[in-house]
Amino acid sequence: MRMASAASKEPDVADRKTAGLFAASLFAGMAIAAALLVPAAALAQSSLGIGTAEPSMAPAGPFAGFLQWVNAEQQRFYRALTGALKAMRDDGSQLWLLIGLSFAYGVFHAAGPGHGKAVISSYMLANEVALRRGVVLSFAAALMQAVSAIVLTGVVFLVLRGTAISMTDATRFLETASFALIAAFGAWLLWRKLGPLLLRGGRTHSLSAAHAHAHPHCDHAHDHAAGEICDSCGHAHAPDPMRLTGDRLDWRAAWSAVAAVGLRPCSGALIVLTFSFLNALWMGGVASVFAMAAGTAITVSVLASFAVMAKDRALRLAGGGRLGARIHAGIEIFGALLVLILGLILLAASLG
Amino acid sequence: MLTICRKASGTVTALLALSAPAFAHPHVFAEARLDVVVNGDQVEALRHLWRFDDLFSSTVLIEFDRNKNLELDQGELQEVAGVVHESLAEFNYFQIVTANGKDVAMQAPAELIADFTDNQLIILFESLPKEPIPLEGTVAFGVYDPTFYTAIDFTEDEYMAVENLPPGCSRQVIRPDPEEAIAQNQETLTEAFFNDPAGNDLSKIFATTLEITCDANG
Repeated sequence: MRMASAASKEPDVADRKTAGLFAASLFAGMAIAAALLVPAAALAQSSLGIGTAEPSMAPAGPFAGFLQWVNAEQQRFYRALTGALKAMRDDGSQLWLLIGLSFAYGVFHAAGPGHGKAVISSYMLANEVALRRGVVLSFAAALMQAVSAIVLTGVVFLVLRGTAISMTDATRFLETASFALIAAFGAWLLWRKLGPLLLRGGRTHSLSAAHAHAHPHCDHAHDHAAGEICDSCGHAHAPDPMRLTGDRLDWRAAWSAVAAVGLRPCSGALIVLTFSFLNALWMGGVASVFAMAAGTAITVSVLASFAVMAKDRALRLAGGGRLGARIHAGIEIFGALLVLILGLILLAASLG
Repeated sequence: MLTICRKASGTVTALLALSAPAFAHPHVFAEARLDVVVNGDQVEALRHLWRFDDLFSSTVLIEFDRNKNLELDQGELQEVAGVVHESLAEFNYFQIVTANGKDVAMQAPAELIADFTDNQLIILFESLPKEPIPLEGTVAFGVYDPTFYTAIDFTEDEYMAVENLPPGCSRQVIRPDPEEAIAQNQETLTEAFFNDPAGNDLSKIFATTLEITCDANG
């Protein structure tokens, strides 16, 4: 039917309406998701007072069934994992089983809870278009989480043991730092998206690569009100200073996201490492945590790619016109806002 | 148009999924035993025993081993008990007790006892109802962590025991299927979330429950 027109460069009015609807439902969906995270984050500290829980959420809403399934699988893997660790305590040849299980645990773990996926995906909405970069970021964040867990457990085990600083304290400190960084990063991202808009009086201007697409109808024939500038073109035709340094800035932003997310080690990794170190299974613990990170990275990559593809599709449906530019700016601002909100919610929960 | 809509809604679904409510899974597993102490026709106390998994137990060992002898001695165990005691207060000690559907208030346990045997942490405590619970109709007892951090498992029905069950009463252990529970309680779940931060309602839906049912004139 209209499939072809969706991909064409000059979408008709109906498609633009679709795009508008699409964008509206996109925002509504994300707003609901953000709202749902609020009560959830209130539970971020562990109910036993020992160890750290992940920001959690009851299985409600349209994805309850899927999440329940993910949860059941996670529990199964976690139990298998703890079984493999115990087996390794007695028989070192169980290492490969442990690594395989850790990898699977990582894949499922990232599909369930976790702030990393939400932050990286929101960031991708706000700022990125290249899929490849999304994948690199996901892997970097997961790797950083693994290193953070290993360093933390190592320090606790070798240096802090017996002191007044417990693993729970140290993890909470890293958690708060990580969430504060995420909030700060979101604020900065938002400023970068909104700043130019405010300073230049409503001109939309995106820094991301999505702008590489063509604008064949800049010399178009649609009407402008008297005095209105070529708003639908939406972008500076002369390269502006921000634009030229855009790529470098984006990489800096990307690595800030990685650092902010990766600083907080995941609870499962900490528990596995503590047990391994206690039983002198040094290699096993470290290998298991890296396998977990690889699994996590794959899931987060897939989710981040969805974010990019959804954004891309919304933009293509919208076309390159005024609506397109607005939707583009809207999506980016919303993504930045989402990072900020997530950061603030998580921070409030970890301080509360 | 239809195709576009379908595609668009598919994308929205995918997007929603990625920012959809994160749902934590337990990081701690405990095998539990509950003894309901009945005196005459009243419930007097609930006795709990939780045996934690090796991994969590080793975390506890590392955290509380102040003198670095890789053992938890009496003082260190007391500290463990103190931390758990304090934290559980917020969650009614994971207990959900109802008499004919109505919530029954429980007292905070006077003390928690922590022990460490075979590399496993054990927590013991006794909790009394604010007023003795008369055994009339159906009285139900569940143990559940509403934050999903701890999975409390009663591996056998016998591990939810009743001492001195009066004649005319019967006991039954109910294990809700989580998937069914979610499907049946979709609306309540969402509501529970916004109105019930302690998660009491959630526990009622998911917890393995011991029901004691007595005849009205039994």
